[in-house]
Amino acid sequence: MIKIKAKDVDVFYGKKQALFNISLDIEENQVTALIGPSGCGKSTFLRCLNRMNDVIDICSVKGEILINDFNINDKSCDVVRLREKIGMVFQKPNPFPKTLYENVSYGPTIHGMAQSKQEMDEIVETSLKKAALWEEVKDRLHEPGTGLSGGQQQRLCIARAISVRPEVILMDEPCSALDPIATAQIEELIDELKKEHTIIIVTHSMAQAARVSQNTGFFHLGQLIEHGSTDKIFKNPDNKKTQDYITGRFG
Amino acid sequence: MNKNKEQLLNKRYKAEQRFRLYGLSAIFMALLFLTIFIFKIFSTGYSAFQKTWFIVPVTFDAELMMLDQNPSKEDLQDADYYDIALKSMADLDPNANEDQENELKRMVSYFFEKEIKNELLNDPNLIGKTKEVYLTASDDLDQVFKGNYPRDLPEDQRRVSDYQLKIFDQLVANGKVESKFNISFFTNADSREAELAGIASSFMGSIFSILVCLMIAFPVAVLAAIYLEEFAPKNRFTDFIEVNINNLAAVPSIVFGLLGLGILLAIFQLPRSTPLVGGITLSLMTLPTIIIAARASLKAVPPSIREAALAMGASRMQTTMHHTVPLSMPGTLSGTIIGLAQALGETAPLILIGMVAFVNTIPGSPMDPAASLPVQIYIWAESAERGFVEKVSACIMVLLGFLIIMNLFAQIIRHKFEKKWS
Repeated sequence: MIKIKAKDVDVFYGKKQALFNISLDIEENQVTALIGPSGCGKSTFLRCLNRMNDVIDICSVKGEILINDFNINDKSCDVVRLREKIGMVFQKPNPFPKTLYENVSYGPTIHGMAQSKQEMDEIVETSLKKAALWEEVKDRLHEPGTGLSGGQQQRLCIARAISVRPEVILMDEPCSALDPIATAQIEELIDELKKEHTIIIVTHSMAQAARVSQNTGFFHLGQLIEHGSTDKIFKNPDNKKTQDYITGRFG
Repeated sequence: MNKNKEQLLNKRYKAEQRFRLYGLSAIFMALLFLTIFIFKIFSTGYSAFQKTWFIVPVTFDAELMMLDQNPSKEDLQDADYYDIALKSMADLDPNANEDQENELKRMVSYFFEKEIKNELLNDPNLIGKTKEVYLTASDDLDQVFKGNYPRDLPEDQRRVSDYQLKIFDQLVANGKVESKFNISFFTNADSREAELAGIASSFMGSIFSILVCLMIAFPVAVLAAIYLEEFAPKNRFTDFIEVNINNLAAVPSIVFGLLGLGILLAIFQLPRSTPLVGGITLSLMTLPTIIIAARASLKAVPPSIREAALAMGASRMQTTMHHTVPLSMPGTLSGTIIGLAQALGETAPLILIGMVAFVNTIPGSPMDPAASLPVQIYIWAESAERGFVEKVSACIMVLLGFLIIMNLFAQIIRHKFEKKWS
């Protein structure tokens, strides 16, 4: 089933066009990887999906992005509700400089998801368990989140993102600041999370894309060159550029 | 070729050594000036914290005080103390003629009558008895005792007569002159008499001014900084505002004084010479300092924190209030304290709005007339009497101590509460 449908999306930074005519369908409960060389617009596209580009004054987005058949670029769309449904994990772990508990409970608090302290405790525990962090931190929930290691911080950010039970999780190169062991943990986690969430991951590592994703989109110079099942893109791409990028001839 | 390279290397080492030397000598110069400055102030000012007292036997003669048998409290309040006060001073020299008795009276402060009265009010049983009472020495003899007075001047160029010096030396020889910690310097308001002048009025005036300044400048500045940094669109208009805030910070303080005079006093008819007006005027000066500090510390909050909050579905307002502002608070607060410390040392605008007036009462609220510490320094520095010289330095010491404490506090806040980013 198709969860997100992007139609003819153009993005401009001031006068400079960053994305050209992107149309892409994203399958529900699958992992979609966006690959491409630096500056090709894959992160920009990702940030369109929860309207994080609104933050940048000079950025404007045109075209339709339908999530559950609702156009999020429409004026009637409330970004707060949208971002409640679409969580995001960033390139560099960015926990709030507060306690672990406060980090995870922040989303449920501002969206009024827990009626009591007990409910909140449960949300925090399940989120941390789903993020495979619970066993490591259950005794120090009230210590600062910034005291964790890089990999733990990133899993904390994932726990924070899933605490509001989003339908979609966007991940912007979540492993680029992590060591191989932490990366493996996160990749395992992504595999687990796709049962309940639709995941879109931007990555520089083709190996990672091949390992975790079912679908892949290849971006180059602001254009979506090719997209399809990961198997097909990596083994038998239609486009010459995709072939060259995947075999490491540029990028 | 090789030799050339070696020469170049040598040259580089020497240049670096020279540069270090310049740096060291610059620091040495700065320290030297600071040491001279502090030494000068301390060596002149420390004696102001001591006060000279004469121990004089006073006979509480009921008849001279016009008291009946068994006087009540009110009777004691209303009694006439001048005669016994005068008599106890005159008794210091049994052979004194009338002129000399007058000179004897002028050896103590004009306050001596009250000091004797307080003694009796504390212990009404003293009536009819004689007791040795501590009387404040006049400022000139205070200076003589502290060794600050040129005794070898010819008599007609001195404010202290040979006769007074003779009696004084006798008292010293008998151990009847004592130096004690000068509490009244901290509890008295200003006075025309150096021996009685204190900093209580100006200290309270400064505190009230700073509080008024803080209460106005802090909220306005923080709101302005938050709006400009987090909400305002970046366009020509906000650029224009930014430039003008920086201009405001560079406006000479006396201009703000004129503004206070012209607007607060002339148009709004606020009471002059009050910390209220002083505080409002100072807040105009402090405003840009706090805005600049608050904006800098808001800027220092990493954008990733804002993104994290926004991506969680926090509104812009929630992101700002839950994350950005609390994280920027240490920087904002230390900037505020530094701004207030600047305001505390400001003199010119306060002179213009009338806080230079002679105030001999301690203000109880920002609406009462008061001086302020820097203005008090100015007033005393203008006074001719020798007794005020040490007071000026002592007042500077108090002001400096105040400033050092505030700056220390700012440093502590900055280091203790500053967050480490992941």
